[in-house]
Amino acid sequence: MSEDSAQIGALLSRIALKDQKALTALYGATSSRLLAVADRMMRDRAAAEDVLQEVFVNLWNRAGQYPAVQSQPMAWLTAMVRNRAIDVLRRKRPEVPLQWQDADGEEHQHDVADESATPLEQLLAVESDQRLGECMQRLDAAPRQVVMLAYYEGLTHVDLAERLGHPLGTIKAWVRRSLLRLKDCMGGAQLA
Amino acid sequence: MKWYHHPETVDQLAAAYVLGTLAGPARRRFEAVLLKHPMARENVAEWQQRLQPLAESLPPVRPSPQVLQRIEQRAFGTSAATPAAAPSALMGWLQRLLSPVPAGALALGLLMGMLVPTLLPVAQDDTQLPQSYVGVLATADGKTGLIISSLRQGKVLDLKRVRPVAVPEGSTLYLWTIDAAGVAKPVGPAPTGDFASVALPKTSEEMFSTAAELALSIEPVGSQPAAPSGAYVYRGLCGKLWRLPKK
Repeated sequence: MSEDSAQIGALLSRIALKDQKALTALYGATSSRLLAVADRMMRDRAAAEDVLQEVFVNLWNRAGQYPAVQSQPMAWLTAMVRNRAIDVLRRKRPEVPLQWQDADGEEHQHDVADESATPLEQLLAVESDQRLGECMQRLDAAPRQVVMLAYYEGLTHVDLAERLGHPLGTIKAWVRRSLLRLKDCMGGAQLA
Repeated sequence: MKWYHHPETVDQLAAAYVLGTLAGPARRRFEAVLLKHPMARENVAEWQQRLQPLAESLPPVRPSPQVLQRIEQRAFGTSAATPAAAPSALMGWLQRLLSPVPAGALALGLLMGMLVPTLLPVAQDDTQLPQSYVGVLATADGKTGLIISSLRQGKVLDLKRVRPVAVPEGSTLYLWTIDAAGVAKPVGPAPTGDFASVALPKTSEEMFSTAAELALSIEPVGSQPAAPSGAYVYRGLCGKLWRLPKK
C-alpha cells in the first residue's frame, strides 16, 4: 500500500470513530483530486461541488457502515464520486430508448464530430502508473474513445451510441472487448 | 445456476458497472447483488483500481472554500469556527475526553460502555445534585467545621470551611480517609481558606469509594505521613450522594 493510501486509510478509520478532524483532513488530502473527476463528468463546477459535498456528508453519516479496510481507498473514494455523479447525471437526463431504426427500418446515423476524450498523452504522462495508459494505447482508436468517454462522462451504452453515431450493438461489443483486453493487458500483478 | 454464480459474467458486469456503462435497472440489480456477494464486490474493487489511473491523470481542481464549510455544517451540524459547540458542559467534557481517539473502535466502545452508564444517569437520578461524594466534618468540640464535596467521577475536591482551626506555621491540614474497619489512609495535604479546591490524583470514585469517614489532621509541610501524627481536627461521615442499589 502506498503512503498516500495508508494515510487515507488511516483517516477513514478515524472517520468511522466520528473524528471530525479526520474528515476535514481527508477533505484536504483528496478534495482536489476528487473534484477533478466530478468536474469532468458533470461539466459544471457548481454541480461537481455538490457531488463532492454529498460524498463527504455521506462518508460521515454512514461511516460505520462502510467496510473497515479499503486496500485502495483512493480508488474507492473515486468510485463514490463517480457513482454519485452518474446518479445525478442520469436522474437529470432520464434514459429514453433510442430509436435506432425508423418505421421503414432505416438506421439513423448521428453525425457527431469525432470529439476526443481526455488526451491519452495525459494518461501516459502519469508516472505513477503507466500500465493502463500503455494498455489503452493498444486498443483501436474508436473503442478506446468509447471507454474513456464512458469513464470520464458517465455515459451509458445508449448515450455512447447516440454521441458517436454507432449502432448500440457495436458500442456494447467495443466496451466489452476493450475491458477484456485491458484486463488481459494489465494482468494480475497490477492488483497485488 | 444463477448468472451471478458465473465468475466471468460477474466480472464483465463488474467492469461495466465500474466503467458506468451498466445503466438503469441493470445497474440497480447489480448493486443489489453486490450487497450479498463478496466475490462480486472484489471484482468491482479490482476494476475500480484498474481504471483509477484514468482519474489520477486529471489535473486537480481546487474546490471553493464554501464546499468544506457546507460539508462541516451538514456533517457536524456546526460551522468550522465552533467545532465543539456541545449541547451541555457534560457532553463538552465527554468530547474533550474522547478527542484523542483511542486506537480502535473496541476501545471507544469499552470507554463509552464504562462512562455513559455512570455519567449520563445524572439526569435520571432522583437527586437534584449530580452524583457526588460529600463529607460534613465536625471540629474536635463537635461543631460543624468543614464541608467537603467532589463529583463522583471528578478529580477536584472542594473544601468549604465553616469553622477555622489553628494551623501552626510550617504545618498543613492533611486529609485522610477512614474505612469501615477504622483504618486511616493518607490522601494528601489540604489547602486552608474559606473556600478551597484541590486536584485529586484519581477520580473521587477511586479515592473515596471505600471511605466511611473523612478526617483531617495537622502535619508538617512536605511530609508524607503513613498515619496521622496527632488527633484529627476535623472528622465526619463520608456520604455518597446517589441512589445505591438495594441489597
